[in-house]
Amino acid sequence: MQPPIVDVQKLQKVYRSFSLTGRRRIEAVRGVSLQAFPGEVFGLLGPNGAGKTTLIKMLLGVVKPSGGTAKLFDQPIGSTAARSRVGYLPESLRVDRHHTARSALRYYGRMSGMSSAEIHSRSNELLKLVGLEGRDRESVRRFSKGMYQRLGLAQALLHDPDLLVLDEPTDGLDPVGRNEVRKVIDRLRNSGKTIFLNSHILQEVELVCSRVAILAKGEIKAIGRLDELSHRDEQQLVVEVLADPPESGFAEDRDLGDVVPDWQAIFGDQLNDAIESIQVGGVHRLTIGVDDQEQINWIIDTLRQSNQSICRLQVRRESLEETFMRLVGNDLPGENDLPREPEAAE
Amino acid sequence: MIRPYYAVIADSFHAALSSRILWIAFVAIWIFLAALAPIGYHEDYTTTFRWFDLDNGTQMKAMLARGLVDPKESETALGRIAKTFPDDIKRKLRQVAEGEDVRIDKDALADSLNDSMDDESWYDAEAWRSTVRLRELRELDELADDKITQPERRRRARLRIEAALPGVFTAQSARSITLSYAGFDFPAFFLIGKEQFVSLINQFVVPIMMDWLLGFALIFLGILVTASIIPDMLQPGSLHLLLSKPISRTMLLLSKFIGGCAFIFLCVCQLVIGLWLIAGFRLDIWNPRVLWCIPVAVFLFAVFFSVSLLAGLRWRSPILSIGVTCMFGAFVLVIGFIGGYFDGLVRGPDRIARLAFDSTDIVIATRGGELKYFDESSNAWEDVIEADFRQRDLIVPPIRIAEDKIATAKIRNGRFNLYGSGSLDLLVLDGTDNWSPHPGLRLPNGTRRLFNINGMLVALNNAGLMATTVSKAVSESGVDEVGKFGSAGDGPTRDRLNEDGAGDNEGVDEADENKTLAVEKIGVTAWISDLIRMQGGETEEFRSILPAGVTLTEPLRAAVAGDTGSLVLYSRGRLMRLELPKTDGASMETSAVPAVIAADLLMEDTTAARTTLAASDRSVLLSRAESPVKWLDSTDLATLVEFPTPGDQSIVSAVGLGDSDRFAILTTDGQVHIASRDGDDVTVRLLDQTEVTAIEYDAPNRCLAIAHHIDSIDWVKIDDGGAEDLMVTRTIRPSVSSWRSVDRYLITPLRTMTPQTGELSQTVAALISGESSFVIGGGSSEEQEVIQLKIARPVISCSLFIVVMLTLACISFARHDY
Repeated sequence: MQPPIVDVQKLQKVYRSFSLTGRRRIEAVRGVSLQAFPGEVFGLLGPNGAGKTTLIKMLLGVVKPSGGTAKLFDQPIGSTAARSRVGYLPESLRVDRHHTARSALRYYGRMSGMSSAEIHSRSNELLKLVGLEGRDRESVRRFSKGMYQRLGLAQALLHDPDLLVLDEPTDGLDPVGRNEVRKVIDRLRNSGKTIFLNSHILQEVELVCSRVAILAKGEIKAIGRLDELSHRDEQQLVVEVLADPPESGFAEDRDLGDVVPDWQAIFGDQLNDAIESIQVGGVHRLTIGVDDQEQINWIIDTLRQSNQSICRLQVRRESLEETFMRLVGNDLPGENDLPREPEAAE
Repeated sequence: MIRPYYAVIADSFHAALSSRILWIAFVAIWIFLAALAPIGYHEDYTTTFRWFDLDNGTQMKAMLARGLVDPKESETALGRIAKTFPDDIKRKLRQVAEGEDVRIDKDALADSLNDSMDDESWYDAEAWRSTVRLRELRELDELADDKITQPERRRRARLRIEAALPGVFTAQSARSITLSYAGFDFPAFFLIGKEQFVSLINQFVVPIMMDWLLGFALIFLGILVTASIIPDMLQPGSLHLLLSKPISRTMLLLSKFIGGCAFIFLCVCQLVIGLWLIAGFRLDIWNPRVLWCIPVAVFLFAVFFSVSLLAGLRWRSPILSIGVTCMFGAFVLVIGFIGGYFDGLVRGPDRIARLAFDSTDIVIATRGGELKYFDESSNAWEDVIEADFRQRDLIVPPIRIAEDKIATAKIRNGRFNLYGSGSLDLLVLDGTDNWSPHPGLRLPNGTRRLFNINGMLVALNNAGLMATTVSKAVSESGVDEVGKFGSAGDGPTRDRLNEDGAGDNEGVDEADENKTLAVEKIGVTAWISDLIRMQGGETEEFRSILPAGVTLTEPLRAAVAGDTGSLVLYSRGRLMRLELPKTDGASMETSAVPAVIAADLLMEDTTAARTTLAASDRSVLLSRAESPVKWLDSTDLATLVEFPTPGDQSIVSAVGLGDSDRFAILTTDGQVHIASRDGDDVTVRLLDQTEVTAIEYDAPNRCLAIAHHIDSIDWVKIDDGGAEDLMVTRTIRPSVSSWRSVDRYLITPLRTMTPQTGELSQTVAALISGESSFVIGGGSSEEQEVIQLKIARPVISCSLFIVVMLTLACISFARHDY
């Protein structure tokens, strides 16, 4: 196994502030440990105030940790060597108004220690990649938020970093733009880059990330591959069986209370969990928690033996959103829980 | 690796160039330069008389009145000039001759003189032969009428008038500068030559522009524009990206700081280079030192920007940054103002200007017009004559005339008026009574120096040299009488003198004067003698000893040649050694024997350059501005050797060191040099004392007294070849008064801690003129003011301040979590 690109061990960050009302102490990150490996697209998920941005700032050396250790490329975070191999796209890129896309790239390229020739050749390539070709001499004053994001992506890639830290990369982009960014990320992953992605958009994370960490209240709630995160032992069998044929009129007009089968009688004590049953448009939809395929087979056999007519059958596992909600549902911050310091907002 | 930081700095220039305010500033600068570009000048002979050319109206009135009414003067140059005045002025002059107090406007006198230059029928070569003609006039007189130009003719006429009325006019440059704008002359002109004009531009005009245009307007504009640099950088979308780059936070902040100076640099470059080109092309002043204004202005801006930067880091708000910086600017201004106030009213007036010794006692005259003696018991200077700072009185340098007797005089408003207000009495200070002053003999009006030479008390003013005996001066003061003025209660006591001495004297004098006039108004002779006295001529006891044919003209200097009984006198281009008449100790005769010119030396030029004169037993030292110092033999005034002024500074004063054939030289930088001659070689040794304001040779103790640091004094032994030579043998470190304590313990520390931005204009003045100190002021040495430009102090204080601010900012930026 290759050594990790990002190696975080028990990282902590405590913000302290003083005011007339007294001292404030906010634990933004509480002993987070995670690793991201070469070629991975690592997603960082969490509600507002979970500590995601603080974690990213610590990785970039913008914020100093209060405890724990973290390394990028086996170098201490914040070191020049570590930072020179990182490309960062901030959540809301702000470029000084006197710049054009090209001059901004030249400026950021110089900041990364690139030569003029390198900047020139890479700029052409990246402006084309992010779709700003032809608008590179235009003042950024006229740029939309989406164009800023594209420019931000270009500057993050300019010095060909080994690790990309993308903070909400598709924020402000239209669906086409999002799709393009996803393609860029795919291409970068394929070229061996490691991507550290911070996003609110769960579907996007599901689409591009190979591993994710879910952060809530400064703690890692779960970390791993997407399929590892969903509860495999909590898969559900959804079965739709036809109700009795209607004698007159529409099924909705009938009093179904009398004709609902007694599922408890049909299945007996063989099922651990309760059966959810709802009547939907002339069918009964049963949602049954199952442990394994043998149990699924038994349920189907039992239904058929009790003359139930199965019209649809689906074995469903937990979605990322459900996993996320299951893990952080109780930790979602109320209005009073949100930290007031902007730095500690996430 | 500096590439990233260079990028930050370059980016700041781009940001500045994209600022609309910068372009507005550029346009304003271009308009200003375009408005200034048509300025020009031309240099002409100084011909026209202006009211301020008339050094003393009273003297002129008296002189003209005499020329008008005295039959002896009817055919002299004075009489001929007096006749050219219009009838109404002549009528007034006659009234003056009759003793009436008639006011004649100086402008009217000057206009009449200007009118008389158009028709020179008043000129008679024979009449002017007896006048003292300056070299320039002699040369112009030699020109044939058909070869003289109109300006030269008018110049000649002016010089002839000046020769006819010696001592009346202020010494002015032969050339005048007239400024023009787009070909039109300004109504005013400068009575200065090109060289002085250049000095004026370099020492005053450019620093003032630096203060107002660069130091105030552009700095304020710069702060407005740059206040947003740091708050903008701290925006999350900008800062986090910058901090994620492989660069140092400290260097990033410093680069931003340097880049922030880009705005002011771009503006100042245009303004200063524009001014330099205009001065070069339009005024022929090609002084590349003017370009020093660029770095100094940027440096000045850096002081304020460092505050703005720290405030921006702390509060992340441009408005707060501007507010804090403005408050800081106001604080600096107030501290500077208070410091200037203390310099002008507390420190300045206390500076020792003159010293007189009697055994171990010492009496000093201060720049503020006070007379004090040192009280050993309290270790403090005690007042003999207090001064009112509004009056600008002048103390005639005190001199020891006998044991426990020091003579001086107080010229009320002497700084503004050659003759002061009211009459002038000799004050004899009594050492047995805490140097209490005793008014005595009437001194010739306008007396600027007193000398005690072999029992004679000599008074020098711009009209002549008058003498009485020391014994007469002492006896008239009543100091040695049993019932002294103070104890008898019927004379002016020290308290009266202290409160409003001049006013009281004036009342007494007026009564006395009326009495004199009443008695003497019996003939023309009486009027004339009174008029002569008004002009600073003889008084009842002080009789003229000036040799015939000698006319005194500023710059006027005199020094006693040790114990030889000679007085060395310099009068604008003429150096003389005068042997004074012997006295038997009794009163001078009514018609005193004039001094004899024992040696006479006419200089090659007769410029009005500022002059310093010193004499010892054997030698005379003569220093004129812009010329090497001359070391002359006191006997025949032959030049022994010439040497450059020590330390390339101007000489403020020099004193002969007794018989040691050495001179102590005080230069404008406040340091003392001991010049020794060995054949044709002059060696100069610098003494340790700094901030020296006065030097005096204490002959009985064979010491050089050096007054420094306002009111401290060191005595340096003068023992040529001895073991103690130039060793400090005695010091005075007086206790300070209440205001001085406030200055020392509160104001000075505050000024030290506050960056002295206001003083940077002095740095500019020094850089542009190439001189760190110079002398300004009138002809007599008492009216001169030594200006020592503070070059290093403001630079050091501002540099330290910037370093502290940037250090705090860098620490904050490096440690803060953003």
